[in-house]
Amino acid sequence: MTILYHGEPNGPSLSVLAALFESGLAIERKAIDLLAGERHALPGVTDSVALDMAVEGEGPVLVADGEAMSEAVFLAQYFDEKTGGCGLQPSDPYERWQMLMWCRQATERLSPAVAYLGNLAWSQKRLAAMSEADFDKLTGMIASEDLRQRWQQLRDDAVDAAKVEDSKSKVAQFAARVEAQLADGRGWLMGPFSIADLETFAWLRPMRELEAAAFAGQERCIAWMDRVEARPSVQKALSHATTDNPAHAFAPGPEINRWG
Amino acid sequence: MAEVTLYHWEPNANSGKPMLALAEKGVPYQSHYIDMLKFDQHQPEYLAVNPQGTIPAMTHGDRVLTESTAIMEYVNEAFPGPDLMPADAQDRWRVRWWMKFMDQWLGPSFSMIGWCTFVGPSLAHKSEEEREAMIARIPLPERRAAWRKAMFAEFSESELDESKRRIAHGVSMLEEELGKREYVASNQYSLADINIFNSTYMLPVGNADLCSLEATPNIWRWLKAVYRRPAVQQTWAMGSGRFTDRFNAIMGDFAG
Repeated sequence: MTILYHGEPNGPSLSVLAALFESGLAIERKAIDLLAGERHALPGVTDSVALDMAVEGEGPVLVADGEAMSEAVFLAQYFDEKTGGCGLQPSDPYERWQMLMWCRQATERLSPAVAYLGNLAWSQKRLAAMSEADFDKLTGMIASEDLRQRWQQLRDDAVDAAKVEDSKSKVAQFAARVEAQLADGRGWLMGPFSIADLETFAWLRPMRELEAAAFAGQERCIAWMDRVEARPSVQKALSHATTDNPAHAFAPGPEINRWG
Repeated sequence: MAEVTLYHWEPNANSGKPMLALAEKGVPYQSHYIDMLKFDQHQPEYLAVNPQGTIPAMTHGDRVLTESTAIMEYVNEAFPGPDLMPADAQDRWRVRWWMKFMDQWLGPSFSMIGWCTFVGPSLAHKSEEEREAMIARIPLPERRAAWRKAMFAEFSESELDESKRRIAHGVSMLEEELGKREYVASNQYSLADINIFNSTYMLPVGNADLCSLEATPNIWRWLKAVYRRPAVQQTWAMGSGRFTDRFNAIMGDFAG
């Protein structure tokens, strides 16, 4: 028995849903409200360690035989390998290394920055409006102390100006990085389409509105985002939205690198 | 076959990962020792190989590879020898999960304590001017900030406490994991074991309060099995100083 629990199609929930549709695997899906903490009360989970301690924070969860599986890039690799290879990752070892290195940059630099900015812009007010009792009940379900702290800081609107600046510059750097990668006229980031396109697109997408300046003059990057968005798998993922603008859907994500 | 050169520091944490993966696969390589405490990694000769100035780096023919965990995955796929990834898709996912958990959550905490108690003090005898000059040569701004903290002992009490909390929690998670399976993440020795061993092999001496035969019997069983692997012993024989001393001291306990 395998079920994919996902939030609104944005960030990791968007990339994982699109990867699932690229793979064609028939896996049952259930939408949950990540900002209501529903990820921490999933039925049928007998092994929750990867859910509790996901570096990604509040991302989608695949429950397979009771085991909660997390981390968007690894779930996409899992779908690809489960099908025996559906074109989501290159088979050449060096090209695979290049793709993994790209994804690491996206998950370690881009996604914490986007999550920080997106949560402050669009999720802070909803958390602040919760009653003390409801918020305590929600955070009481969260096993990870540091993740719980990120929820608390968001509710308290404890904004770190240095982190905001750092996050804004990381978003702009990543858009420029995509632009440079596409400079040779290639259609997709690694040449052939791959997980790197989905992961990067899914995190940059909500920044088009919030950090519009980061995309100014980045014509190739913008054209590439339009190409990714036009893929049937991405369109299908976006059609699962239950709100008017899924790009505004955020819940506490990965932490900004604390050391090393 | 194209020649492999590995630029590495001691068999410990990040440098030890590709060293051990290559040894397990039986891939011969040219070893190029980079003395991190002498800042060899920021000298022009090394920056010509890896402009980021991070260790380890590996060259395979004209290909240059960086980032220890990603190098290991390349080594496993590009060379013949025993497969260091399980075949089952869910096991493979779990191997990756544990490696990320170590690389991004637990590992940085081990690293912060190590840099605070060993790396920083190792350079304390240098004048402030010398230390500033060393920092100025570092290419990445994040690395400059990290070295400054270590060299001028700027770690706060609260961030050190948080790292200690994470280490204690991570060790208890590892103990639980090794109660479920023979090895980390699957029932076969894999890249996850290599990754995690490189940051935990010294626990019995460095964190005896957290890890012992009585407190963590599953970790103990696993450490003993990994310590006894020929590739592990061959790799740590390439080390020097405190890293090899610690390894040998623990190996003595496990030999019987």
